[in-house]
Amino acid sequence: MILEIKNLKKVYGDKTVVNIEHVQIKQGETIGLVGNNGAGKTTFFRMLLDLIRPTEGEVLSKGENVMLKDDWKNYTASFLDEGFLIDYLTPEEYFIFIGSLHDLSVADVSAYLAQYAEFFNGEILNSGKYIRDFSKGNQNKVGIAAALMQKPEILILDEPFANLDPTTQIRLKKLLKEHPGNMTTFISSHDLNHVTDVCNRIILVEKGQVIKDFKTDENTLKELESYFSA
Amino acid sequence: MLKTFLSHQSKSFWRSRNKGSSIATQIILGFFMLYFLVLAVGAGFSMPYLLPKIFANQNVITSFNGLILYYFAFDFIMRLQLQELPTLSIIPYLHLKIKRSQIISFLNVKSLFSAFNVWPFFLFLPFIFMRIAPAYGAFATVMYIIAIFSIAIFNNYLVLYIKRKTISNVLYTAVGLIIIAGFAALEYYKVISIMAASDFVFKAVASHPYIGFAFPIAAFLIFKINSDFLRKNLYTEELSSKQEKKVSTDYAFLNRFGKVGELAALELKLILRHKRSRSSVILGFFFLLYGFLFYKTPAIDGDKFGQMMFGAIFMTGVSIIIYGQFMFAWQSAHFDGLLSAKINFKDFIKAKFLLFTIASSIITLLASFYGFLSPKLLLLQLAAYLYNIGFGTVIVLYLATLNKKRLDITKAASFNYQGTSATQFLLMFPYALTPILLYVPFGMMDMPYWGLIVVAVFGLIMLLMRGFWVNVITAKFEKQRYKIAEGFRE
Repeated sequence: MILEIKNLKKVYGDKTVVNIEHVQIKQGETIGLVGNNGAGKTTFFRMLLDLIRPTEGEVLSKGENVMLKDDWKNYTASFLDEGFLIDYLTPEEYFIFIGSLHDLSVADVSAYLAQYAEFFNGEILNSGKYIRDFSKGNQNKVGIAAALMQKPEILILDEPFANLDPTTQIRLKKLLKEHPGNMTTFISSHDLNHVTDVCNRIILVEKGQVIKDFKTDENTLKELESYFSA
Repeated sequence: MLKTFLSHQSKSFWRSRNKGSSIATQIILGFFMLYFLVLAVGAGFSMPYLLPKIFANQNVITSFNGLILYYFAFDFIMRLQLQELPTLSIIPYLHLKIKRSQIISFLNVKSLFSAFNVWPFFLFLPFIFMRIAPAYGAFATVMYIIAIFSIAIFNNYLVLYIKRKTISNVLYTAVGLIIIAGFAALEYYKVISIMAASDFVFKAVASHPYIGFAFPIAAFLIFKINSDFLRKNLYTEELSSKQEKKVSTDYAFLNRFGKVGELAALELKLILRHKRSRSSVILGFFFLLYGFLFYKTPAIDGDKFGQMMFGAIFMTGVSIIIYGQFMFAWQSAHFDGLLSAKINFKDFIKAKFLLFTIASSIITLLASFYGFLSPKLLLLQLAAYLYNIGFGTVIVLYLATLNKKRLDITKAASFNYQGTSATQFLLMFPYALTPILLYVPFGMMDMPYWGLIVVAVFGLIMLLMRGFWVNVITAKFEKQRYKIAEGFRE
């Protein structure tokens, strides 16, 4: 078990935004977090990453509370929103910086980026722009590629498909499905097609609570559609 | 790692969006910094000669010793007001493979890059080498330097700690201010004396230099406390903003103005709900004290309204000047939305006039306590008030249509020059000079009251012509709106 969430709660004022009793995540699972706006998906992710202090409960990464030790940073990569990017750097500078945190040399980084040429569609590298000057879709690409570059055991992406053009969405799906090894992936999405396609487990949340938690099969998409149209 | 962080910081400075366009501002700021440094160096080197003249009846070293803590008390208050919390800059690093302790040491080091930490050296070192060293020898000299360095560090981290604490608890602010006010009052009424205390402390350092080690220990302690606090509370939402319940409000008194009132209410909410605009409003109340600088007894007795005019204009019009200098830019984040919404531009402009008029009226009413100094001042302020709402508003709004700089209103105001451009400096000239030029001929002919009447009547005529000015500005705004919107989108 790589991740365990125990009695996790976040309360703002008198509103409980997240309230998750117990969730266990095994290594290699690809989990899709699905829920309407305000379901608490992003707040939940932020607590996984120790960016928000939970009101109650804990997140255990490889058995250790993420609030107490930061060993989890060694094997966890994430991209939630543009706030994660250092927007006054060029993409190259940003990749090299992230690479250096994981002891990758400049050559390693460029070798790694070479395989993303297709994903970047020639718009990111050598563009002579700072990250802040990119469109939201291209900023997303930088963040996702930087997260994948860290060869994480846990990958957390918030709405990775949003703002991406159709071609890139398909490429990203391919990337996520093919990504080798025993990476545990956590993504949230409003696109039911994409999540059921990519993920082998779906966690459905509403008002901060887990409503359903199940393995995907051929009926999952229908099930989700009927739930959300009700 | 620290080096990488710092190089990112310098990149963030040099690549900041406004850098290229506001080089003028940078140069002016640079000159200011240089000016203050030169002042500090000058004061430092002239202290051995000036101190005996200022405090003629005491020993030079006693005076110098007395000044040190005084300086740092002042330094503390200034820092409390001006020193920024370096918090937001760490967001992109928190989720990465970077140890918490490294992020904290970055925050700690970053806070040292402050002019406040440089001034004491320029100010005190010359005297220490010129007078203390010959009198007390090498060991005492070193301890003096260590002590001064340590107090600067102590203040640095204490202020950060207090500021971080106060974000989570308003009570601390109140208590802190009361303590400081208490000390100030005790000093003012000569119950205690910072100077005497300071002299006592540094005399002790001079005669028993090892006492000086207490300072670095204190500095280290506060540094530790601050770091520990950060380690336990490294959550940006807790470090940078208060969590309070947001409620919907309705300003009933604005409803009678219809559409215009709604727009004014919208802007009022914008002002009250953002840090930068809110602090500019608070600043406005501080400027109410401006009168004590300008309303000097000789000027009042001699009916020299020309000398006091600037003070009066600035005080009663402070909200117009300070808020108006960034007009439209306050709304830059949602300017496209405003343009595409069903808003009549004329109403949009009228709403601004309405807000300015209300704000200026309130401030003028508050400022009327200067009537206790002399009732004449009420006449002066009335003239200034009429000028402000009649013509000042027109200048500000007209110049605002030329302002295309985006403004991020979530950031604090002190030493934040984002959105500043030449327009802001230009603004002050016509604004302050017009009423003074109107007054001067009458002042020279020794008809001060006629001068006031001319200024007041001028303001009143412009006020009556407001419909005309609204049309002029609306036309200009309609022409400029694409350029403004484009600038705001950057």
